[in-house]
Amino acid sequence: MANEAIHYPLGHAADNPKWTSAEIITDDLLSRREKASKTFWIATSVFGVLLALGVIGMIMRLVDGVSDTAQWGYTAAVLSFMLTTASAAPMVAIAPRVAKGHWRRIVSRPAEIWSVAGLISLLLFIPMLWALPSLEDGRRSMWFYHPGEVYPYSPHLWTTLAIVALVVVGFMLLWVSALPDLAAVRDRSPLGSAVRRRYTWLSRGWIGTSAQWDWQKHRIGILGAFYFLMLITVHFLFSIDFLMTLVPGWIDALYPATHAANALQAGVATVILTMFFLRRFCGYKEIGHDQFWGLGKLMFALSLMWFWFWFSSFNVFWYGKKPNEEAVLELFIKGPYLPIFYLTFITVFIVPMFTMIWNFFRRSVWGPAIISVSVLIGTFFDRVRIYVGAYSVSDQAGNHEGIETIPPTVYPDLADVFIVVGAIGGAIFVYMLATRVFPIINVWEQKELLLYKLHKKYHRTVVLVLGKPE
Amino acid sequence: MADAKWGMVIDADRCTGCQACVVACQSENNIPINDEGLFNQQRANQWIRIERVWEGEYPDVKARFMPVLCQHCDDAPCEPVCPVYATYHNTEGMNVQIYNRCIGTRFCANNCPYQVRFFNFWEPEWPESLKNQLNPDVTVRSRGIMEKCSFCVQRIRRTGHNAKRDGTTVEDGDRALNPACSNACPTGALTFGNLKDENSQVAKLAEKEMHDKDGRGYHLLEELGTHPSVIYLKKVDPAAEKVTEKAHG
Amino acid sequence: MQEYTYATDKELNQSLLKDVLGMPKWWLGAVSFLALVWLMGLGAYGWELNQGIGVLGVNRPVYWGFLITNFVFWIGISHAGIMVSAILRLTQAEWRRPVTRAAEVLTLFSLLAALSNIMFHVGRPWRLYWVAPYDFERGVWPNIRSPFVWDPSAVGTYLIGSSLFVFIALIPDLAALRDRSTGLPRKFYAMASLGFRGTQSQWKLQAVAGILLSALVLPVFVSVHSIVSWDFAVSIGVEGWHSTIFAPYFIIGAIHSGVSAVAMVMALMVWLWKWDKYITPDHFDAIGRLLIIVATTWFFFFALEWIFALYTLEGPELSLREWQVFRLPMGPLFLTFMITAYFIPVPAWLFKAVRRSPKWMFWTTILVNIGMWLERFLIIVPGLQRRQPFEFEWGSYAPSIVEILLVASTFAFVGMGILIFAKIFPLIPLFDMKEGTRLRDTIRVGRRVVPASIRE
Repeated sequence: MANEAIHYPLGHAADNPKWTSAEIITDDLLSRREKASKTFWIATSVFGVLLALGVIGMIMRLVDGVSDTAQWGYTAAVLSFMLTTASAAPMVAIAPRVAKGHWRRIVSRPAEIWSVAGLISLLLFIPMLWALPSLEDGRRSMWFYHPGEVYPYSPHLWTTLAIVALVVVGFMLLWVSALPDLAAVRDRSPLGSAVRRRYTWLSRGWIGTSAQWDWQKHRIGILGAFYFLMLITVHFLFSIDFLMTLVPGWIDALYPATHAANALQAGVATVILTMFFLRRFCGYKEIGHDQFWGLGKLMFALSLMWFWFWFSSFNVFWYGKKPNEEAVLELFIKGPYLPIFYLTFITVFIVPMFTMIWNFFRRSVWGPAIISVSVLIGTFFDRVRIYVGAYSVSDQAGNHEGIETIPPTVYPDLADVFIVVGAIGGAIFVYMLATRVFPIINVWEQKELLLYKLHKKYHRTVVLVLGKPE
Repeated sequence: MADAKWGMVIDADRCTGCQACVVACQSENNIPINDEGLFNQQRANQWIRIERVWEGEYPDVKARFMPVLCQHCDDAPCEPVCPVYATYHNTEGMNVQIYNRCIGTRFCANNCPYQVRFFNFWEPEWPESLKNQLNPDVTVRSRGIMEKCSFCVQRIRRTGHNAKRDGTTVEDGDRALNPACSNACPTGALTFGNLKDENSQVAKLAEKEMHDKDGRGYHLLEELGTHPSVIYLKKVDPAAEKVTEKAHG
Repeated sequence: MQEYTYATDKELNQSLLKDVLGMPKWWLGAVSFLALVWLMGLGAYGWELNQGIGVLGVNRPVYWGFLITNFVFWIGISHAGIMVSAILRLTQAEWRRPVTRAAEVLTLFSLLAALSNIMFHVGRPWRLYWVAPYDFERGVWPNIRSPFVWDPSAVGTYLIGSSLFVFIALIPDLAALRDRSTGLPRKFYAMASLGFRGTQSQWKLQAVAGILLSALVLPVFVSVHSIVSWDFAVSIGVEGWHSTIFAPYFIIGAIHSGVSAVAMVMALMVWLWKWDKYITPDHFDAIGRLLIIVATTWFFFFALEWIFALYTLEGPELSLREWQVFRLPMGPLFLTFMITAYFIPVPAWLFKAVRRSPKWMFWTTILVNIGMWLERFLIIVPGLQRRQPFEFEWGSYAPSIVEILLVASTFAFVGMGILIFAKIFPLIPLFDMKEGTRLRDTIRVGRRVVPASIRE
């Protein structure tokens, strides 16, 4: 059976009709990225400036001192936001790979590259280690602190290990996944050039033998699973050690899972937005309805899941009327952060739910993109509400009975604004720089798809037959 | 009765554990007879019970007694969970049980943190001779129904009706108003009354013991936020007093 | 590696319909035995109605025992249907085809078994209808704040949704049966198949209805077990119940026990009806892999629940956990639960040989369900036994013979229900299988031939 490509009449399948052979694909994709446009470098510089602002903000904050935990609320919030968006984005590459869907091929590299934003997370995390008090302050913790028996800086130790592991595994996953493409760039560049030398080093002798492909497939599987495990672990540890323990009386077994589930939703939103940019501003029209539709469905389901996790916690606290739990509801929902809560609820749940329920919205390009913006805004404010609120009561953490006084709303000062802007800008900056090293579209996966695809005549129409990889 | 909030103050210092209140409650409210078999099945029905706690090490062991009855919580956890509204909070601050409406899911019993709700596992039976002893003012419950202390609401109602009929007012401390347990207590450990009436004994005790610096008053399981209408007064331990006196000279 | 069955339509019709049109040898004996157990349960219930709740093992403080455990267990099993038919249909997993109807039927009968447990456990079941909002004249409404009113609403919706789902998916097969039977059965099938003739528009309607129902029943799926879990989680009176994690924890537990039950039913389908041509080792492999992920996610939530139970280091909660793990009789039960629900099955499923064998899958999934039944028991009863701080009121619990018979009768009821269903309707959906053969194709990749499916 010859795999002849017939121009497929139904246009919604993500398909570039010109991609009929492996060489054409490689040539097309890699030539598009060889030289970055001026606009690209201007944009990158803008984000670089934002990153610099962030550094300035961080210095301002450090000068104020690290001992007052309450001042670090916004930093913690934006760090959590990074872990929720950029660090979760690679899941869009990992999970559908396990489910063996083909539509994800074109979005897997843009998703994977987000793991480099983990560098920004690390930068934000380091000062937090000083901001978080040791377990000797008497607050509850999952390390079951006992003087002399348990290390009082256990949270610091384990969370650091987890975040570092997450970033390292993310880099490794990106690199292993990109190996064949790095080799392709190497092979295209003229002999003796700097580019060739650089990519020879990066591709570590990849020549595409069977053994190497097997090795790569195996490693991607393991690294993907490991990344998922580390992501859950980081969310678990960060949401407990750097958040829940600081609020007396907040005993919520579900929250670490909620934190991770929010990350899945925001990660999908990040990738959708990235896809939109690539299609609209970088000319990658191959990212088509199939991708937006697939991710849109996922986004819809995850938005519903946001509500389900939130309501599970809320219902138990609200119904039980225990004073310590009512104080927690007052702090995070009904009290100083009520407007932010409404904003979050509407942008993260109401808007996605009531728009994505319609097929025409879900199946378009602009629909999921708008919803992603909504979800990202909502997730950011959700993190602000929870982290800033929690850090504002962190001085009461030793009081096991519950929150005694609810502090008023904490507004960001200039340093906080700089840090937030710098973190988000810095993440995008690092991402854009990374796209100069790693090809933005996964070339080898598109070539692989060619092997599985066949257009066949079926009764009176032509259908696409897709092989299922095993 | 309008504008009443019924409450009780229980002085643990005065309770001797004689169980007169338990017996009085049983006879007033037609509670089924708890024989040994029922106790062995762990299904004994005691609307007010005396909890006995051992304190101290031999030879200084002491028994402490705590009468526990329905606390008539303002935020009663048993009320929202009944699927058929068989238990609700009335305007006089009491948690009432409607026997006819109960279908016996026993959810309220699980949700009550004080363990003061009782279920009729069997059809209650009285020997022929005791049937005349049943109180006509109180429903005789059949099997499958939950029940609990009602602050002898039948006595409150009767006193209220009589007062209205006679044109008088209900007096605080009226023995016809007080629940059976309160009347039966030989040491006066159970004081019942209208917490909203500032001149009533309960209100005065509550004010003094809950808000004074040396007040002995507390609520059971305060941390659950149920806001009970029953206030307990801590037992005064004479031994502890002597230690304090010695320490301060 | 993936071997699909390439059966012709005629072969499919013959093998899948022969046990509906004819009578398998073992069927009567099996149904009679199960009916006997079920009748014994009914007899036990009659005794309970006559004597009162006292004949059960429940007492004060343990007001809920075996029957509520059984209720939660069957609600859990009922999640199998949705998982296999709706979720796998929406994710376009081909391997669901032979088992989708069996899973859905399992759901139907599990829900009925669960509801019957409610009837068994209330004190005055002749007044149980008061939970329904029917009283328009006197204005006496049920208490919508009560989780016990949310329960019947959710379970009722789920029951109706599942029934519709089974029925809609049955219509083409009923038409096939109508065309092959005579006399009274024919009249029945003719009425039930609603005049289905297999025209273009009818197939389209049927497909759309199936997809819509799959999507619509998903929120119900999530809410049913969340609501059942809130029966416990909203309670502040019992240690170990007031935890926010109960909703997702119970749901993932339900998926775990439900999908295991489906694997059990799959093995029984292979052995009893000799359908090993349609339910191949590949299917067991696929369900085994799904189970590994589901079981591990469940374990994660279980660990989260325990970490936060111990987090406060407070006396009451620690005392409960110590009682659950280290003291008789709960300790051995806890150990059994841990081993059977996770630590034997999941390591076993990591081996492909185990996953591909119906025998191994059957026995490991039975273990899972024993463990999950114990899990519900361990959540409900120990907390009730030790209500802090009133140690004076601590009690014990032992099931009575009536409770044991009632629980056994629910298992018999579900088994009987599936067997009777399989006698009247085909348990493997004909049209689903035929659709699968239509959509299947192969592609040559180098020297290998890879199975493929036709995508739009």
